[in-house]
Amino acid sequence: MEGHKTTSILILDDEPIVCKRLKSALEKKGYEVEIFFRSSDAFKRITERTFDIVITDLKMEGLDGMAFLTEVKKRSPTTEVIVITGFATMETAKESFQRGVFDFLAKPFKLGEIQDAVERAERKIKGITS
Amino acid sequence: MDLIRQWTRALLHPIIGGRRTKGLSFVDIFSKFQTILELNNRILDLMAEMGDKLSGEYIFDKQYIRTACEQMSDYVYKLIYNLDAIAPHKYLALYDAFNRISSEIQDELEGRIVIPESDLTMPYSLVSRDFSDVVGAKNANLAEIKNFLRVRTPEGFAITTRAFKAYMDYNGLWEEISQIAEAWTRSEIGTTEASKKIQELIRGGTIPPKLKKQLKKAIEILSEQEPGKAVYLAIRSSAWGEDTENTFAGQFLSLLNEPAENLAEAYKEVLASAYSPSAMEYRREKGYSEKEVVMAVACQVMVDAAVSGVLYTLDPQDPQKEAMVVSASWGLGAPIVSGDVTPDQFKISREPPHEVRGLKVVRKTKQMVVKPEGGTEIVPVPDELQTKASLTNDQLSELAEHAVMIERYFKKPQDIEFAYDHSGQLYILQARQLYIRSQGAKLVCDIPSALRKAHTIFSGRGDIAQKGVGIGKVFLVKSDEDLERFPEGAVLVARNTSPRFAKVIRKAAAVLTDIGSHTGHMATIAREFRVPTIVNTGIATKVLKQGQEVTVDAEENVVYEGKVKELCYYEFNEEPFEETYEYRLLRRVLKKISPLNLLDPLDKKFRPRYCKTFHDITRFVHEKAVEEIIELSYYGTRNSHTPPLHLDLPVPLDLVLIDMGDGLSVGHVSRKVHIEEIRSIPMAAFVKGLLCPGAWSTEPMSVDFGSFMSSLTRTFSSSLATPKYVGQNLAVLSLNYVNISLRLGYHFNMIDAYVSDNINDNYAYFRFLGGVTELSRRSRRAKLVGEILTMNDFRVDLRGDLVVGRVKKLDMEEMKEKLRVIGVLVAFTRQLDVQMVNDNQVNKFIEAFQTLNVGAATVH
Repeated sequence: MEGHKTTSILILDDEPIVCKRLKSALEKKGYEVEIFFRSSDAFKRITERTFDIVITDLKMEGLDGMAFLTEVKKRSPTTEVIVITGFATMETAKESFQRGVFDFLAKPFKLGEIQDAVERAERKIKGITS
Repeated sequence: MDLIRQWTRALLHPIIGGRRTKGLSFVDIFSKFQTILELNNRILDLMAEMGDKLSGEYIFDKQYIRTACEQMSDYVYKLIYNLDAIAPHKYLALYDAFNRISSEIQDELEGRIVIPESDLTMPYSLVSRDFSDVVGAKNANLAEIKNFLRVRTPEGFAITTRAFKAYMDYNGLWEEISQIAEAWTRSEIGTTEASKKIQELIRGGTIPPKLKKQLKKAIEILSEQEPGKAVYLAIRSSAWGEDTENTFAGQFLSLLNEPAENLAEAYKEVLASAYSPSAMEYRREKGYSEKEVVMAVACQVMVDAAVSGVLYTLDPQDPQKEAMVVSASWGLGAPIVSGDVTPDQFKISREPPHEVRGLKVVRKTKQMVVKPEGGTEIVPVPDELQTKASLTNDQLSELAEHAVMIERYFKKPQDIEFAYDHSGQLYILQARQLYIRSQGAKLVCDIPSALRKAHTIFSGRGDIAQKGVGIGKVFLVKSDEDLERFPEGAVLVARNTSPRFAKVIRKAAAVLTDIGSHTGHMATIAREFRVPTIVNTGIATKVLKQGQEVTVDAEENVVYEGKVKELCYYEFNEEPFEETYEYRLLRRVLKKISPLNLLDPLDKKFRPRYCKTFHDITRFVHEKAVEEIIELSYYGTRNSHTPPLHLDLPVPLDLVLIDMGDGLSVGHVSRKVHIEEIRSIPMAAFVKGLLCPGAWSTEPMSVDFGSFMSSLTRTFSSSLATPKYVGQNLAVLSLNYVNISLRLGYHFNMIDAYVSDNINDNYAYFRFLGGVTELSRRSRRAKLVGEILTMNDFRVDLRGDLVVGRVKKLDMEEMKEKLRVIGVLVAFTRQLDVQMVNDNQVNKFIEAFQTLNVGAATVH
């Protein structure tokens, strides 16, 4: 194509339906997507490679989503993180943004919304101003 | 003295003195009523929102479903509570109904599939994909295409997984099978031996009496279809779950042309086949435990096939060729499927008119046929048929149309078994997903680049009502005649959404509209039929031309010029969201929330006990709240010193008004209210229609005494405790709200409407119940009213002589217009009591109405 590599995305959510549908919708747009249901697996994966974008839920068993996203930002500050959650509150939104989250989506969301958020995150990474 | 008498009377007045001493002044009561209306709206909105999630546009999880149900519960409880406040302890049964429905929803959420204990068999008319866990994928799919797509399939019923469990429980087989299975797992006995033992156990069991009874009943129903003719059945397994369905294919037993008397024994045989050596091996390999075996069975009336075959909607060798392949031969299809007979092969185009692209006719020497006494046999094919093509071009066309429709519905390539009987009737026997082996790397390589090449006509406009991809030629729909001519596979393009599209939607590849709501009734239909739909685009009818080929991507909300096949193939590769657990759960839960069963307040079943859904409760509360208002305001004040307000009309109609606040202009003095003093928006619109010139016939209605008497005994239902509801026409109104009950010419009309600036709160509900004359005339009149309402884009429910028309979420001007139409209709139908003698006149009256209505509309 134009010589740039495909944008890579990691998705972490303990509900398989969410991961599967997101993967399908984003791959259709041409992104490279890996999905994880367990935070321990996702955590292991980010030690192996970096991703351009990470989409994660907040409330899950085991490693808390907030801790995960902090870890991601620590390892790779240029990775953009998008939070998706079914328990959206002002506090969690504020805290997420304080930890450097790029966007915060309350479930249920439209496919279009998440695709849009991903596109904007991608533009930011590539340094393109819209 | 007089004063004391007045005071005493006031004290004894039910509102002040009686049970309502704690209470509630009029102001409080009206305010509670307002709360009820608001809650009503919020409930309906939430229902629509939840329904929206079924469009596929949203990603939602179990948590969402739980939260939404909690919210719904909360609203409905508050609704009942508020009614209780207006009429203390009068409707306590509502709490019971609420608890009953809540716990059913709770059961669903917790994964306990709720099927009534008694349903060991289910006729196909009652089966849908929501029941696939109970009847198996084969039965569910068949029922769906039968009930929804109206495709002809053999009549039949499912023997559910519950029946299987009941059989196993009754005969205490679990234990014994468990022991044998364990011995086999430990390799103490071989598969063949284990299988033999288990199968013997199953065959040796007794059918539980309850199941026997239900099987007998199910057969009786089938034999009623063709009285005098004996029933022969095709009995097959319908495995649990789509995956297992296909992978177990061919491993379970099918019994053909079994006499109905043999059903019990045949059932046992089919059950036993679940434990064939190959099935057991397969399960072991896949990690299923023997305890997880659950089987449902399909029983269909046997089709005496003249020719049968199998159709694939894509050529597995060459999926991109855009062709369907058909294998067919004389007689029954079993030998084709098993490979015992070499069939004719046909290739037909996927596009209408489905021309035949290739055919290979072979010499067919044998065929399987049914034996009159039961069972099948192989017989020779008569000489003159041996080299004749088993299917004609017409039959291939017919098959193709059905196949495309089925494929579009399931959004997956299909493997369809069919048969033509000796009278030339086509039957679809089975439809399941076609697995194309060459997939690995998807059928489509690079969607983004394919899309870059495609030319976009417009995008990002409107709202997606149902996700999906549709390809076809544009067909503009402006009138009912257009709907009649709607071609198969076309893209329906219209200015506004309308429930009338339900007639053709199963033929449509996609739907596009200029205006309309994605939460309306039409959206619901689009979802039921899974037709990709985008509403409210603003420009569809202007920009698209008749016959233009387009691709509607109702996922990304783009309409492309021409055919973007890649998108269609891509869809084939996705797991349809409709098959996901969450989606099915939401659908099941919504079944306990959205459907409205309690339509007619005069029906004796309009009671809490018969509420099956939260919508029923909502409707009940709404109706009763209005009744209470009327009871309190009108009949309550009958003895007081304030006489009721009457509306001054130029037509002979005595209408009493109950103003809840702002319905009438301030400062009206006399007991007679003039039309100009009506501030209530919906009321004013209704009256305008009522007074439409020419609508109100001034001729006296000659009614014969007999008819009159029949109307009396009919309309005064015992559910209305007192006769005081008879006779007086009443309107309860406020600025935005109106509820009118009219007894005009022995009809009973009820109008309930809310019209405001907020489009989301607006609705109009019109109930028409005829009086006078016998049932056939009343039904005819109801049909007339129903037609007229439909033509005006109301959603219509017709039940015998009862018509209910509903419309919602239109802007203020449109709502006013709808109310005006109701007004004209009410006036117009008054004269029809005796005049409509036969069905031919229905059309005549429709025309007359239209002239009247259109005339009035242009004048105003």
